[in-house]
Amino acid sequence: MSERRATVLVVDDERAIQRFLRPSLEENGFTVLEASTGRSALELAVARKPDVILLDLSLPDMDGLDVLKRLREWSSAPVIVVSARGQESDKIAGLDRGADDYLTKPFGVEELLARIRVALRHAELAARDPEPVYEHGDLKIDLTLRRVWLSKKEVRLSPLQYTLLAALVRDAGRVVSQKQLMKELWPEGGSTPEALRILVHQTRHRIEDEPVRPRHLKTEPAVGYRLEAPDE
Amino acid sequence: MVVQGYAVAAAVAALCTAACFALLEALALNDLVMVYLVGTLVVALRGRRGPALFSSLLGVLCFNYFFVPPRFTLHVEHSQYVITFVVMFAVALIISHLAVRVRTQAEAAKRAEVVAETERLRSSLLSAVSHELRTPLAAIIGSASTLLQAPPGGSASSKDLLVNIRDEADRLTRLVHNLIETTRLESGAALKKELYPIEDVIGTALERTEKLLAGRRVETDLPENLPLVPVDPVLMELVFVNLIENAVRHAPDAPLDISARERMDGLEVSFADRGPGLKPDELERVFEKFYRASAAPGAGLGLAICKAVVEAHGGAIRAENRPGGGAVFLLTLPRGGAK
Repeated sequence: MSERRATVLVVDDERAIQRFLRPSLEENGFTVLEASTGRSALELAVARKPDVILLDLSLPDMDGLDVLKRLREWSSAPVIVVSARGQESDKIAGLDRGADDYLTKPFGVEELLARIRVALRHAELAARDPEPVYEHGDLKIDLTLRRVWLSKKEVRLSPLQYTLLAALVRDAGRVVSQKQLMKELWPEGGSTPEALRILVHQTRHRIEDEPVRPRHLKTEPAVGYRLEAPDE
Repeated sequence: MVVQGYAVAAAVAALCTAACFALLEALALNDLVMVYLVGTLVVALRGRRGPALFSSLLGVLCFNYFFVPPRFTLHVEHSQYVITFVVMFAVALIISHLAVRVRTQAEAAKRAEVVAETERLRSSLLSAVSHELRTPLAAIIGSASTLLQAPPGGSASSKDLLVNIRDEADRLTRLVHNLIETTRLESGAALKKELYPIEDVIGTALERTEKLLAGRRVETDLPENLPLVPVDPVLMELVFVNLIENAVRHAPDAPLDISARERMDGLEVSFADRGPGLKPDELERVFEKFYRASAAPGAGLGLAICKAVVEAHGGAIRAENRPGGGAVFLLTLPRGGAK
């Protein structure tokens, strides 16, 4: 990726979590900063300008969502929100307040590293033009030609199905909330979450070999959708 | 409630009086007393002292007013009737006293039984849950401490131990999730129902159980144009995860078939395995809390939660034996209006 070691700020007040995160992140080439309170997280974010922030929403001194809001006032560093299952509304609130992605506790290291890499890549890409061609497994999407192939065979999509894919490609690897997608697909409003779900369902039946077990277009239950990060 | 008791007593007295008019020709005057006593017994069996007393009194008064000469007055000509009244009232009182006591004793016994049942359920919950919690914990602690003692560098078996730790922790996670969602449902939290394609929810359940399924064959048959159904996606995913886990547990090497069909009133989803199937008496019992088929591992919580969640959605779930061997779990979800 970059020559310099990327810095990850881990904000979590659980010692046990910090203990496993530091060695696994360091082993994978990251410099790790730790904060166990919202206040120290904000101070470290100002002083050290981390490349990625991993933010647990339950902190002893302040609401994690407030930390996120304060961060976003001056920083555009990618923030990955960490929260437990069953707290989907927190995840949605986090995405609405400018988080880039989320991780559900408990998570494995592979998942964590994948999220961090996607977040870093997006931060890098934000400065440049997006890649015009997305490739993941047997799926290929060309944004300049507005064409889609599955196993080298061109796929016919409706304009709306294509718009959905294009929107997801721009955020490939990251979760895109239902709300964000609806804004993109129906800018004048007037649609429903059901219409989005039907659209995703139909699109899956065009671009997935086995739509019930999608390999490209994943559902994030009760939050939104994720198009897998493109092949390296 | 109290007023209702007295109203019933009055109605019964009216009924008895009507019966007495009908029987007037056939019976001797004193025999009519029996009719009122039966009425009092009926009122007393409802278990309240006040209405029973009221009924006894009403019986005497009605008997006097309507039937004892001179009729249609409370005046009494012969003093022998005064004795009749006293005896009638006394018998009515004794009957009502006994009946009320029988009733209250029966109620107390029933209450004691409910308490005992709750207690039994609680202790079986405790033992099932604590067993389910301790087993993976023991495996995790055991594996981790073995790894700590092993010489650095690791061996072939250290990978197995690590896999064991991860799998058992996953199992613990599923159990904790089940417990949290059960508690939430039992505390009456509202479902967050929205219209979903069922394929989407089954898909997230399959993804969540990928490690558990470990490459086992899962065949799905889900027509593309099935109607959307109103479901709470988190809870319905839990139902499917539990059904998958159940199949993995009871039919370890057999494939799993998942299908859905549109029905008149909604959607029918089926999870069919090729395991040993169920005994006839187990078909219903598998959905009971803490029931475990054939001494199988598990807390016996999964299917009970499935039933609770499906019923909270206005649907139904049942188990059947599959032609050719294996068990099928069939759930119907009403189409209904969303929200």
